[in-house]
Amino acid sequence: MPLPAHLSSLFRNLFRKSGKERELNDEVHAYVRELTGEKVRSGMHYEEARRAAAIELGGVEQVKEAVRDVRRGHMLEQLLQDIRYAARALRKNPGFTAVAMLALALGVGANTAMFSVVYGILLRPLPYPDADRIAVVYMHWLPWDNPRANMSMADFLDWKSQTTSFEESSLYASVGRRFDLTGAGDPEQVSGASATSGFFGVLRARPIVGRTFLAGDDQPASARVAVIGASLWQRRFAGRADALGQPIILNGVPCTVVGVMPESFHFPLANSEVWTNLPVVPPKRRGPFFYRAFGRLKPGVTLQQAQAEANAIGRRIEQANPTVYSHLDLPVISMRDAMVGDIGTPLIVMLCAVCLVLLIAVVNVANLMLARATVREREMALRLSLGAGRGRLVRQLLTESVLLSGLGGIGGLALAYLGIVFLRAANPGNLPRITDIHVDGTVLAFLLLISLLTGILFGLAPALQSARADLSSTLKEGGRGTTGGLRQRTRSVLIVSEIALSLMLLVGAGLLLRSLLRLQRVDAGFHGAPEHILAMTVSPANRRYADEATGIAFYGRLLDRVRQLPGIRYASLSDGLPPDQEGDADTFVIQDAAPRTSGNPVVTVDTVSPDYFRTMGIGLVRGRAFEARDGRESVPVAMVSESFARRFLPGEDPLGKRIKESGPELTFLPFREIVGVVADVKYTGLDANRQAAYYLPYTQNYTRRTFLVVNSSSDSAGDAANLAPMLRREIQAVDKDVVVAWVSTLQQAMRDSVARPRFDAILLMLFAGVALLLAVIGIYGVIAYAVAQRTHEIGVRMALGACRADVLHLVLRQGARLAAMGIAVGLGGAFMFTRLMRTLLFDTSVQDTFTFAAAAVGLFAVALLASIIPAHRATRIDPLSALRN
Amino acid sequence: MTRPAKQTNLLQGTLDLLIFKALALGRMHGLGIANRIGQITNGTFQVKPGSLFPALHRLEEAGWLASSWGESENNRRAKYYTMTPAGKRRFQTETREWGKISLAMAAALQAS
Repeated sequence: MPLPAHLSSLFRNLFRKSGKERELNDEVHAYVRELTGEKVRSGMHYEEARRAAAIELGGVEQVKEAVRDVRRGHMLEQLLQDIRYAARALRKNPGFTAVAMLALALGVGANTAMFSVVYGILLRPLPYPDADRIAVVYMHWLPWDNPRANMSMADFLDWKSQTTSFEESSLYASVGRRFDLTGAGDPEQVSGASATSGFFGVLRARPIVGRTFLAGDDQPASARVAVIGASLWQRRFAGRADALGQPIILNGVPCTVVGVMPESFHFPLANSEVWTNLPVVPPKRRGPFFYRAFGRLKPGVTLQQAQAEANAIGRRIEQANPTVYSHLDLPVISMRDAMVGDIGTPLIVMLCAVCLVLLIAVVNVANLMLARATVREREMALRLSLGAGRGRLVRQLLTESVLLSGLGGIGGLALAYLGIVFLRAANPGNLPRITDIHVDGTVLAFLLLISLLTGILFGLAPALQSARADLSSTLKEGGRGTTGGLRQRTRSVLIVSEIALSLMLLVGAGLLLRSLLRLQRVDAGFHGAPEHILAMTVSPANRRYADEATGIAFYGRLLDRVRQLPGIRYASLSDGLPPDQEGDADTFVIQDAAPRTSGNPVVTVDTVSPDYFRTMGIGLVRGRAFEARDGRESVPVAMVSESFARRFLPGEDPLGKRIKESGPELTFLPFREIVGVVADVKYTGLDANRQAAYYLPYTQNYTRRTFLVVNSSSDSAGDAANLAPMLRREIQAVDKDVVVAWVSTLQQAMRDSVARPRFDAILLMLFAGVALLLAVIGIYGVIAYAVAQRTHEIGVRMALGACRADVLHLVLRQGARLAAMGIAVGLGGAFMFTRLMRTLLFDTSVQDTFTFAAAAVGLFAVALLASIIPAHRATRIDPLSALRN
Repeated sequence: MTRPAKQTNLLQGTLDLLIFKALALGRMHGLGIANRIGQITNGTFQVKPGSLFPALHRLEEAGWLASSWGESENNRRAKYYTMTPAGKRRFQTETREWGKISLAMAAALQAS
């Protein structure tokens, strides 16, 4: 048969259906008439013959259906028919459709959004060739005890001279990644890195214009060069090729532009735009610990081998420097793990949480489907008796489920898209690789898979059950579903699991919330009103201030001007700021103290102007604060924090003791006399314990970037933030090349410092809220259905004298039993789930009794509340009408 | 009625061949074909409408049969089927194939 004939029969079957159907009908009936006639001729009565013919035929509709099954295109036709029918069924029941779709959209959407985040951060390969060969080398040493600490130049040189595992390696400054860019155009602050020659080679990144660093670019006498990012190239040079060879001024140092990196290149930060060569000057001491090393492994060398080698090198460094390190490791970590950092745990917790949400959504929809299957039992039985095959019915029901989950999937896609837009906009606490997060093909495939599996999962069970339904009993008038009891039990199991899952999420969210509240109540150590304290970074980046005396004089002029401004009570400088902006941290020695055998601890070093403590409201405990008389040439002085005094000068009077910064190697530095002790302040985050700090006067320790901190008078109208433009004008009136960046009130800074935990808590609370809502819908549905089923029984009870309270009690008891079972199971689940969260919690146990109890009681109350409506309805059942029906 | 349907499902090729054979005499309506098959197989195959009609429609869609409405011997309207030229060729090849298969089967079953 030629192809056109095939097509024309397909066409006729699909679109000329009514003609074909009529003809088929005529044909079957003609057959019956012929058969009847034959039987009459063989001597039967007409009526008897007709009956016999009908029995022999076995049902007109069944024969017709058998013919339809062999027709060309009948699968497609049935599919279209099924879809049309499913759409009609869903439209006819908008409440069911809306709830089921919403539940699925929430489950699928939240999953896709979280999966996109996890995929973007944890799974997507880094954008460098053979990125799995790149490793970062950290230092872990005591007494500093940070498992991923930076290293000093000296440690890097020791490691580099001894390692044979890496084909190329580089060191870049991990502190001070903001560069003040001055010269032509407005001064601005850009993110970048100064790095030794191998930087681009390790990453195998190539410039789009010019060159990157050459092998000799990191010698002490090398000329300063800069490689710039494409965005900076466009912004400052309008993308002109003659940018090469032009000077730009970074932190006051003129650098020659030698190359441009593509727009896609961002390292070490997502917004890095400038890279300058780091000259390797042979260091005089161990420290400062500003640097991070990374390298590309030689072919065939594993991370483990490199680690084993680094361990040996670390041991040698440790033995050679016993006064600095009491213990030293060099952790070698793959670049991906290094970039992902400690985000892994919260992501996995969130992923588990959304999986729970999806599970709840699926359970909820399955529940709705079961309820609907009961209602539709008669419809199904009718269709079976009209000639539909059971396989066909299952297919029909599956079509409905898949259509529903498909719609839910589309809703989920929209939600996921919005969710990712929200996540990227919020970027809580600097998620790494945030630019790698978007809804893409992989994620979409994942979404479709979830939708489909969900559809099949919740569609199949009720569908199979419906198709097995016993025809005669179901079709009987008023027939109650024979499978009703089983279904009710299934639904109860589903509800119990739904409540259990919700409880797990509630407990998780509760723990995060409790931890967050505790974190926010932590005393950062300053007592000025945070909304009245405004801080901004000020960097006199211009070459004019390279000289210490000029720079300090500039700061003095600036402070004098700012103090005169209306509304300013105190103005001061500090290169560190609570709660989490540590300016500097270093080792120290105390004069005449016994040499420490366990290495030199690192403490916070803060360089401040005299009014800093008054500006911030940091209490002076003993002695005096810095004063104007502590000038450049006067006696070197220092102040220490209470913790410092307690830890390093126990039982002694700290006043008059003499300390020196930067460890025993820097013999040329003078000892400083401790003149005062101040209250502890948190500089390394609210959750950190380290509060030992010492302070230096800004006149005796020139820093080229500092915070200008002002305290506005509390009676001045509005927020201190309103002062920012005025202050900026004043600073630039003193010198227009001074870079002003990062303006924030302390209130904002405190809020920002807990952005990540707050975000985690909000996200989990959102999930828990969705879960709770779905559970409430579920429990309401089950109880309401049970009441409807038991109308007759309740009517009888009332007729026999049960009062309303008894009925209320009867129904509520059912709800309470389900809730109690769910909570019992959920508490067990929550113990397992929250174990994942240990590292996310501040000062809160993963088995916090209060949280567990509150979540359980709260959920129980909500579950009871959800059963009250149907229970109340049950009390209004009219015994007479219930019995009549 | 389910049993013979199952049987002919197993022997779909057989049913097709029997329909061809019945129609080799000329055009026939559904009941006529069923009766003819019963007659030529000595009653071994009682083809029921549940299997006959799907087979007829399948063969027609394949282009091997053609159908038209006509008057039955009892002056009733009935649908008549005939073999198309393609159907006749198909009948010949299938007959040959069947001959081979039945010889092979008989030999196989008699082998010791």
